Amino acid sequence: MDTGALLFQKILSQIFVGLSRTTILFIVSSGMSLILGVLRIPNIAHGSLYMIGAFMAFSVSNFFGGGSQGFWMALLLAPIGVAILSLITERGIFQFLYKREHLMLLLLTFALSLIFGDLVKLVWGAEYKSVPVPQVFHGHLTLVAGIPIPLYNLFLLLVGPVVAILLWLFVNKTKMGKISRAAAVDRDMVGAVGINVSRVFAAVFVVGCLLAGLGGVLVAPTVNVTLGMDHTLIMEAFLIVIMGGLGNIWGALIGALIFGLAQSLGILIWPQFGIIFPYAAVVIVLMIKPTGLLKSTW
Amino acid sequence: MAVNRANLEVEKGEIVAVIGPNGAGKTTLFNLITGILKPDEGRVFFKGEDITGLSPHNVCRKGISRSFQVVNVFERLSVFENVRIAVLSKNRMCWNFITPSAKLLGDETERILSSVGLADKKDSACSDLSHGDRKVLEIAVALGASPEFLILDEPTAGMAPEETDRCIELIRNLSDTLGLTILFCEHDMGLVFSISDRIMVMARGSTLVQGTCEEVRRNQAVQDAYLGGDDYDVS
Amino acid sequence: MRKGTSTRNIGIGIAVVAVFFLLPAFLPRFYVYLISLMLVYGLLATSLNIVLGYGGVFQFHHCVFYGVGAYATALFLTKTGVPFILSFLAGAVAAAVLSFLMGIITVRLSKLYFGMLQISLGSLVWAIVYRWYSFTGGDDGIHGIPVPEIISSYNGSYYFTLAVTLICLFLIYKIIKSPFGSALQGIRDNPVRSGMIGINVKRHLLVALVIAGFFGGVAGSLFVVVDKTVFPDMLFWTLSLEVFIMCLIGGWFSFFGPMVGAAIVIALRTFVSGYTVYWALVYGIVMVFVIFFLPNGILGFLEQRAKPADEKKLIEKG
Repeated sequence: MDTGALLFQKILSQIFVGLSRTTILFIVSSGMSLILGVLRIPNIAHGSLYMIGAFMAFSVSNFFGGGSQGFWMALLLAPIGVAILSLITERGIFQFLYKREHLMLLLLTFALSLIFGDLVKLVWGAEYKSVPVPQVFHGHLTLVAGIPIPLYNLFLLLVGPVVAILLWLFVNKTKMGKISRAAAVDRDMVGAVGINVSRVFAAVFVVGCLLAGLGGVLVAPTVNVTLGMDHTLIMEAFLIVIMGGLGNIWGALIGALIFGLAQSLGILIWPQFGIIFPYAAVVIVLMIKPTGLLKSTW
Repeated sequence: MAVNRANLEVEKGEIVAVIGPNGAGKTTLFNLITGILKPDEGRVFFKGEDITGLSPHNVCRKGISRSFQVVNVFERLSVFENVRIAVLSKNRMCWNFITPSAKLLGDETERILSSVGLADKKDSACSDLSHGDRKVLEIAVALGASPEFLILDEPTAGMAPEETDRCIELIRNLSDTLGLTILFCEHDMGLVFSISDRIMVMARGSTLVQGTCEEVRRNQAVQDAYLGGDDYDVS
Repeated sequence: MRKGTSTRNIGIGIAVVAVFFLLPAFLPRFYVYLISLMLVYGLLATSLNIVLGYGGVFQFHHCVFYGVGAYATALFLTKTGVPFILSFLAGAVAAAVLSFLMGIITVRLSKLYFGMLQISLGSLVWAIVYRWYSFTGGDDGIHGIPVPEIISSYNGSYYFTLAVTLICLFLIYKIIKSPFGSALQGIRDNPVRSGMIGINVKRHLLVALVIAGFFGGVAGSLFVVVDKTVFPDMLFWTLSLEVFIMCLIGGWFSFFGPMVGAAIVIALRTFVSGYTVYWALVYGIVMVFVIFFLPNGILGFLEQRAKPADEKKLIEKG
């Protein structure tokens, strides 16, 4: 094979790696974007919920024997567990602080992320955990140009669009979604027509956090589940949301694509400084369009 | 488009009122003059100089200052500090990093505060002032920039009657003793007709008519569009 | 009345400085080191507060200047023969230059959008430092940085830190109280109005950002003197938020609030982590408590309590 074809193959396989990463980033950051758009909370604890999702996936999967069944049960139960945790947080803390400035909310979520981080340490300990890839996704599939793609990555590539569509349906087709969109634009108006805004906020918060948990479960089989995985992710998710336009879910998708691909192709272009490409991409986007690529709800 | 085909001329030393129904574009017009908004078309001249599109701080340096409709002061600072910032800025001292502000321009600030009648409240926090006093402070901050041309956006909005009288007195005083040229907008027609030299009537972003009080009062178009017949006190 | 208060304040100031000066004679080494750290972080938090509390700017990623200041000093000390004092200043100047470059890009935005662009730019700087092994040592950082003997001992570095911090605090205080500082507070409260009274808001903020970056850089260089190491976590966004928290806990509308906040956070981290590995939990709970009940911070709270008392006295006298 000549070098040109080899390079092409390399690029293509990096794109696939990037796209799987994009899926995870999109799922987590779309939840963050939803919460930011409607509730105006820049939720740093979102990353912690993602981490908790991954740790819960480990526990559930272990409980059901660790095999394929374990994974599917984890996929079902862990996001629900995260959702319950987020509901408690919202009702217990956030609902009293919606009128505060963003800065205070931001710092509060940072405090929560510290608390959650230590709670994870308390419950699961500080060691690495790993969640096995389920049996059905063992092996590779060769699609184009002879590049083997792990089946699990293909699965992720399928999950991404499914989540996007479900989220779109939630926001655009359900009553709750419509109210929340209205509340994002004018909260007082929605309250004035007799809708219980507080309950809508709780629902939106829970859905957003559920997505963080789901992202955690999905990423678990591909990485070491470990403390600190929240900190690396949250900044990426944050930047993606900013880049896409605050509160815009399709913006989160585009942002995740740019970030994921810049990351994976950056490593190919300049291995040592691969890490700076996604950050540079964000900076370039924001210098051109400070309010993000798509229309933000702010 | 909030303002188009608006045409306004103010002579030195005059008091000119802009009136018009809500949403006629009075505040937008002021924003265009003071550089907060930039016009797509049209020009703004001050003392024969084209100041269109200058940024607010440069407009201010030319000698134009304004107050705002909603009280727009420095909330965390005291009354005295509020006015002093404007005075410091006027005297080009904002790039002084060394001398304590407390030692600078106290007299000038004091003079402005007593000219508007806030001298006894100079150490109060802004948030402790009554609404009327806050509106007066709003004007005092504008005066701190020592303008030749002062724009007041609804100076008496929300004031009690006796506060309004005090405010009228103040505006007259500024015109008489300091010789300021004043442009203001107001819903209180009694106030408008009692102190204005000339009046400009706006409706839907355009100038309907500009003339003396008498001309405006007699103008049929104004009566139809705005004053609603003989009774001009519609607010 | 006013004159009396200011003489009293000067008296308190001299007493506090005297106590700090004598501390090493009584305290064990570890505590001297700890107080040095508190001074460093206190200066860092105070430098952030120039733009945060007095300028109303959401400088989310202030630690970039701290880190760049520290790295610049460390690199000058390890890779060149430049005298110490120049290396030290190089840190502050590098931070100020970076702050200027970032400020040109960010200053046209406001509030949250400013903060976000700033944090992205900061993350970019972090990523470069983190990866540039040949120059910055990558994720290992640089250790055993040679510092002149006279200030490398515990007491030496303590006195050096104390002196530099005091000078910087004095300068920052002067700047805050100067017309420049007054105008800055005006911009914080009302940027539109500030423009309307003739202040060039953007340029004013840019200069404030450069000043804040400069003093942040000084804090970074001081850390090199105290700890003789630098590492990429000094530029990581979590530290920036911690410094934010220091300002919040102490009170960002009080001049000494960030100093107090920094001392509390460092003390909390050191002593709680002596008892339990779950110090972040305690720290988080303290933060939630402060946000709920002391939104103006501890000093802000005390000042509010002190104020009515003063007024009461006045009424009694009158």
